[in-house]
Amino acid sequence: MSKIKHMIGKSIEKPDARDKVTGQALYPGDINLPGQAYMKVLFAERPHAIIQDIDISKAVKLPGVIAVLTAKDVPVNEYGLIMNDQPVLCGPGSKKPFAERVRFIGDQVALIIAESESLTEQAKKMINVEYQDLPVISDAREAKNDHGKLVHPDRESNVFCHYQIRKGDLEKGLHEADVIIEGEYITPVQEHAFLQPEAGIAYIDEEDRVTIMVAGQWTHEDQEQIAHSLDLPPDKIRVIYPAIGGAFGGREDMSVQIDLALAAWHLMKMGIHKPVKTIWSREESIIGHHKRHPYFVKTRWGATHEGKITAAEVELVTDGGAYAYTSTKVMGNATLMCTGPYEIPNVKVDSYAVYTNNIPNGAFRGFGGPQGAFVAECQVNKLAEAINMDPVEIRMRNLLREGSLLSVDTPMPKGVTIDKVVHKCAEKAGWKNTDKGWQAPAISKKNTDIIKHGIGFACSYKNVGFSFGAPESCTAKVELHGKDTIEHAILYHSGADVGQGAHTIFIQFMAELLNLPLEKIHLIASDTARTGQSGSASASRITFMAGNSIVGAVNNALKKWINNERPAIAEYEFRPPKTTPFDPQTGKCQPNFSYGYVAQVVDLEVDTQTGKIKLDKVICVDDVGKAVNPLLVRGQIEGATVQAQGYALMENFIQKEGRTYTPTLSTYLIPTILDIPEQINSIILEEADPIGPLGARGMGEMPFLPFTPAVVAAVHAATGIWFDEFPLTPERVISKLHEKG
Amino acid sequence: MNTPINIKVKVNGKEYKRAVEPRLLLSDFLRHDLELTGTHVGCEHGMCGACTVIMDGVSVRSCLIFAVQADGHEIETADGLGTEDALHPLQQAFMEEHALQCGFCTPGFLMTIIPFLRENPNPTDEEIRTAIDGNLCRCTGYENIVKAVKKASVKMAGKAK
Ligand code: FES
Ligand code: FES
Repeated sequence: MSKIKHMIGKSIEKPDARDKVTGQALYPGDINLPGQAYMKVLFAERPHAIIQDIDISKAVKLPGVIAVLTAKDVPVNEYGLIMNDQPVLCGPGSKKPFAERVRFIGDQVALIIAESESLTEQAKKMINVEYQDLPVISDAREAKNDHGKLVHPDRESNVFCHYQIRKGDLEKGLHEADVIIEGEYITPVQEHAFLQPEAGIAYIDEEDRVTIMVAGQWTHEDQEQIAHSLDLPPDKIRVIYPAIGGAFGGREDMSVQIDLALAAWHLMKMGIHKPVKTIWSREESIIGHHKRHPYFVKTRWGATHEGKITAAEVELVTDGGAYAYTSTKVMGNATLMCTGPYEIPNVKVDSYAVYTNNIPNGAFRGFGGPQGAFVAECQVNKLAEAINMDPVEIRMRNLLREGSLLSVDTPMPKGVTIDKVVHKCAEKAGWKNTDKGWQAPAISKKNTDIIKHGIGFACSYKNVGFSFGAPESCTAKVELHGKDTIEHAILYHSGADVGQGAHTIFIQFMAELLNLPLEKIHLIASDTARTGQSGSASASRITFMAGNSIVGAVNNALKKWINNERPAIAEYEFRPPKTTPFDPQTGKCQPNFSYGYVAQVVDLEVDTQTGKIKLDKVICVDDVGKAVNPLLVRGQIEGATVQAQGYALMENFIQKEGRTYTPTLSTYLIPTILDIPEQINSIILEEADPIGPLGARGMGEMPFLPFTPAVVAAVHAATGIWFDEFPLTPERVISKLHEKG
Repeated sequence: MNTPINIKVKVNGKEYKRAVEPRLLLSDFLRHDLELTGTHVGCEHGMCGACTVIMDGVSVRSCLIFAVQADGHEIETADGLGTEDALHPLQQAFMEEHALQCGFCTPGFLMTIIPFLRENPNPTDEEIRTAIDGNLCRCTGYENIVKAVKKASVKMAGKAK
């Protein structure tokens, strides 16, 4: 590997920023092509029903309407990232069993394609759908045991995934404990609320490929799912990402992709060569894409008076919603992370993902980690209180260290630094490491009758890259141009820049490894016709995976350069160490190949009259291995922390009987600048990951994980109340305070 | 009811004459009819601020205004603020301070801040925070936006001297 020269560790500006500040960047909804038609989706807007009949006869007769597509027009009427359990369009007439059922309000029934947007609207109203409503299944805990009422009648149960971990002897571990803490927790749904609603445009390109320009997270997965539904070979589908207006996991599953492809392909078969464009409204976006999973948790943990955690038992039930999306993977993470970054000798975990008629749940920054961390950190903080030990001290006695065995009975990958991260964070927040162990600082601010102050601690770890045996690789192609010296270089890479700055990082790696100025690096990105399989922009994996792929491709290209090949062109597919799935009985597995580590302290005040919580200070310490671009890293920490703050304190997604009561940004409130902490102190540690590119770890998710449990601990310190359910809206806080009296 | 109405609007210094439907929103007029896609739409009902433009010197939400209401008025959008080679100091500061990630919210922030800085060329952090409290950003956590505004104000004040 080349020596670090000049570009890594530098806060260079994002090369896409210039276009973005001048309004010139094109997001999917900004692209117009000559002669384009418009598409609108008819959503079911009811949670559970059988479609008896769809009458489109009036709609298709409206002048200017080009086509109305229903289930019978979809060649293979199914899709899904993990399993093909979702119809592209619900209704009678396709071969997919039970596709005439709608299972959540955002299920799609028809696509209307017309000359103008207002015509699609008009035609939509002329479609007549006859529904037979079915009982709504909305509580995952009930649905788990109810085999009479099924969301998918072709399955035996609403439970579509179950994992278990059996490590050591739980009963023995509980017996050894001096205290046992039992807990029941509920974590809420969260909406991504990326600022750019779903949009895209599709056309047939010069090589007869159905081409879709859209905002997503994984070009090649989009391509594969579209190809499956259209029954075409993947190379007949081309997916291109222009500028992407945020994602956070919310673009990992299909939204407009298959619809657009189907529409353009259908028009072509009708002999009409017209691009098709669509833009979802915010309301369509909120009912149309998945959310963060709610979890229902029962748990008991035991510890000795010396602060040794002896046993942890956890049952997780998660609401998958109507379709699987990435639930099985998200739950894998939660299953691992619900016992925290601690070495616990006796562990029993059972987790269940359950179908309901709610909006599907899936990927969202942290991917099961925040829910797992909430359980583990609240339990550890409660244990610390029960044995009268400092929360940092109890952690120091149990944290995972180099060589520690995880709950899944395999050692951690090398480069474990959670103890250093906890140490740093505690120190920064004023903890003292005395001969009696770690001691929290005294709260400096005075409590009044009304305002109570508190400080809370939590820490977490987050996997980098795909887990549990999922195929994991990343491809880069590099071209070196010039005569005697390399004059410029081209990188071909699919990795999606969802706003986090992935492309900036790619260019920095290239410039560093080739010792070229930034402007001599040209990037061709995210186009399945030109760039190779990169995997998704998720799981905090892009810096790590793409970085390693670029290092490999540059090294290969340099070898060719030395052999006088001009241009020197090389491709490289990086494959990290293998992971393995849970053993069905014991859960034993090698879950991940790399982790990032994080700790947070939250300092806040609670107004006991209004229930309002005000954040004074957040300290966030993240081991990122190597900060390839410190400015971008801090941007991720600040952005994740504010998003976590929304999750912990204010974002209240209301769903009853499968219907959504918060489908707009005026009913679903996310943080504005006046809601955020007065101070976010982000501290970056750089303990190299032994297999990270130039030592880098992934980090985009981890600042999210410990935030909520740190807030809950601080609120407990302020008020004496443990909140086992959030968001901690003023209403929830005040009603608990009144309960306590 | 849908008879098109003739309007005359000056956008970024250029005059446009168009016939528009009475219910056409200013945001759609700018984006579709004039193909000025630097104005973004994030919520369609006044909550996110992404669609903010300047009308006769004042920040307005173009998703809450009909195109016909802009008849005879002057509009400024992010597309006209600076060019790629000659950025406005505020745009420059947004780049330098990493005040954007996905950038979808950025034009709305710029168009909110420009009139604010004209009125208040030397703002405190507190005043900046209040000025942008109606604009949503889901990526940055806002801190860098405040820094960028501060930096731009210092630069612009220096130039004005
Ligand atoms: S689009 Fe106008 S305020 Fe959100
Ligand atoms: S930068 Fe993405 S919403 Fe502000």
